[in-house]
Amino acid sequence: MIKRKLTLIMENKPGALVRVVGLFHQRGYNIESLHVDPVDDFTPYKFIEEQLETKFKENEISRLTIQTLVSDSLMRQILRQLNKLIDVIAVSNEETTYLKGVLLDENLL
Amino acid sequence: MGTKLKLSGADMLMHALHDEGVELIFGYPGGAALHIYDAIFRQDKIEHILVRHEQGATHAADGYARSTGKPGVVLVTSGPGATNAITGIATAFMDSIPMVVISGQVASHLIGTDAFQETDMIGISRPVVKHSYCVFDANEIPKIVKEAFHVATSGRPGPVVIDIPKDMTAPDNLFEYEYPKKANIRSYNPPVEPDENQIERAVTELLNAKRPVIYAGGGAIASNAEEELFRLNEILDAPVTNTLMGLGIYPATHHRFLGMLGMHGTYQANMAMHNADLIIAIGARFDDRITNNPSKFSPGAKVIHLDVDHSSVSKIIEANIAVFGQVKNSLSAMIKLLETKLDQYNKDTLQPWHDQIQNWKSSHGLNYELYKNESDENPILPQAVVQHVYNITEGKAYVTSDVGQHQMFAAQYYHFDEPRKWINSGSMGTMGFGLPAAMGVKFAFPNEEVLCITGEGSIQMCIQELSTCLQYNLPIKIININNEALGMVKQWQDMNYGGRHSQSTYQNSLPDFVKLAESYGHVGIKVEKNSELKSALEKAFSMKDRLVFVDVYVDPAEHVYPMLIANNSLEDMWLSKDKKT
Repeated sequence: MIKRKLTLIMENKPGALVRVVGLFHQRGYNIESLHVDPVDDFTPYKFIEEQLETKFKENEISRLTIQTLVSDSLMRQILRQLNKLIDVIAVSNEETTYLKGVLLDENLL
Repeated sequence: MGTKLKLSGADMLMHALHDEGVELIFGYPGGAALHIYDAIFRQDKIEHILVRHEQGATHAADGYARSTGKPGVVLVTSGPGATNAITGIATAFMDSIPMVVISGQVASHLIGTDAFQETDMIGISRPVVKHSYCVFDANEIPKIVKEAFHVATSGRPGPVVIDIPKDMTAPDNLFEYEYPKKANIRSYNPPVEPDENQIERAVTELLNAKRPVIYAGGGAIASNAEEELFRLNEILDAPVTNTLMGLGIYPATHHRFLGMLGMHGTYQANMAMHNADLIIAIGARFDDRITNNPSKFSPGAKVIHLDVDHSSVSKIIEANIAVFGQVKNSLSAMIKLLETKLDQYNKDTLQPWHDQIQNWKSSHGLNYELYKNESDENPILPQAVVQHVYNITEGKAYVTSDVGQHQMFAAQYYHFDEPRKWINSGSMGTMGFGLPAAMGVKFAFPNEEVLCITGEGSIQMCIQELSTCLQYNLPIKIININNEALGMVKQWQDMNYGGRHSQSTYQNSLPDFVKLAESYGHVGIKVEKNSELKSALEKAFSMKDRLVFVDVYVDPAEHVYPMLIANNSLEDMWLSKDKKT
């Protein structure tokens, strides 16, 4: 078990956070710490806007970081489960980023 | 441009459902849903089916969805209406069935006050839905309905809840109604077309396999991939096994069909999977009832896994080649490439593999001729009941089942040649599913034979729906395989708990099912002897316009075999009470 940091960009909608936290509980993953903020500077996320052909507006998205204790084999499964949540736009760990259907080989979030 | 329609929230909901193509809603009224029910009364495009319990509504919508491929729609009120629907929502979720559940909620200003019939439906349903919506602005009802149906039916299907506070449907607040042509959810984009490189890698493996097995599940049915699967195997000529959820996606009477695999799969299917050198998993997810102990699963096989859901691949069994996309599209792509390489493939190389499988089948395959024993010296075998039903209906009926031994006997002995005809609660294992699911199928296919194979335990969990069947004149045939015990529980107690039947028998407290069926206005037939079985079933199926409840007393000591021995491989099975592999 290693401590890993996950970063999520998600829709800032009622109930979105509880879906993420609930998923961790439901699937037996552990949360060491959690932090969430609305995003006001979209410049780092231009690549998401381009990929999804969208334009973020003020207060529309949040950035969430979670520290979790997991094995390597579970890591990919957690990323894929989080990526499956409808309100989650992108999720990454230190090495990869899942942007809906697209898997990118670095942490872009 | 004409002037837009001005409608209340409730009327917009009904218009949106109609514009979405909904024909039927299964539901039950109550306080928080009454504005919607008044809107239902004032329209004639969508039929509402009044069930007797909200669980029945969800299972009926589920049966409708499984048999048609279209989403089932449910309408319930807040509080107990919503919580009663949960079991059916979870059932649909676990089997990836498209469903939209609309729940009434207390008025917005009352939320959080512990108001009468208030419950947090979004919170309570969250772990068992694909997604959910709460309506905070009535203007958004058309958009939310459009999105809900899109999410429920695309990608890996599943149930979606729309929770609507009562004030959002108030009759005096009018809005301009327009139904969106398209759902646009930027953060939702399930894969459709597969990656070409992966298809190439998969085809290379297919061409070189000596002992391939095609393992197809419910995802192949959800993707309507039966023609592609059949065509693929016209080329490959490989043995095919189906999961409990996949039965019918490949014709059961085809000579390459191995039967179901897994916990109660056939000997040849489990042996073939264990000894394969290539497994082609198509919309199947290596569930624990399939793999037994994953570390001992099929040690020599490479795995090609076709699935629409990224998180289903390499979750239990690592895939060597993952093909993401609608499995229908992935299969088409594989076929297209294979057809250019036919000169590199020789079906005959599989002959030793087919011979081996034939040996397995001859040594320990299921006996499909049990029905021929009509002697009254023996008790009725539950397997023989299913065989008779299969013969009488010529294998063409829609068969729903409940959960337990009868479900496994139905899966083993009714041979499904077409998808969407076998309707059962696979992953969730929900007792009480069979009868309401059969109602949903019968509404969708009023001219087809629809039967429910059940047990005296399961049928009592939603027996109230017999009243719904009378109200809407649904001539379903109910085959109650009555062993006077919770058969599968008892089987486990026999095998693992020294025969201590803790709370699995009813001590002579069962109802008289014939009288019970009659009191609901239907026909009841009781069968206790082998010699009467065939004629009683024929009589039941000859009554085309009546619901007939056939209560068949079977051998209470019978167990379901084969049965995997826990924590071992797929080769390790009990074959009978005293014989294992």
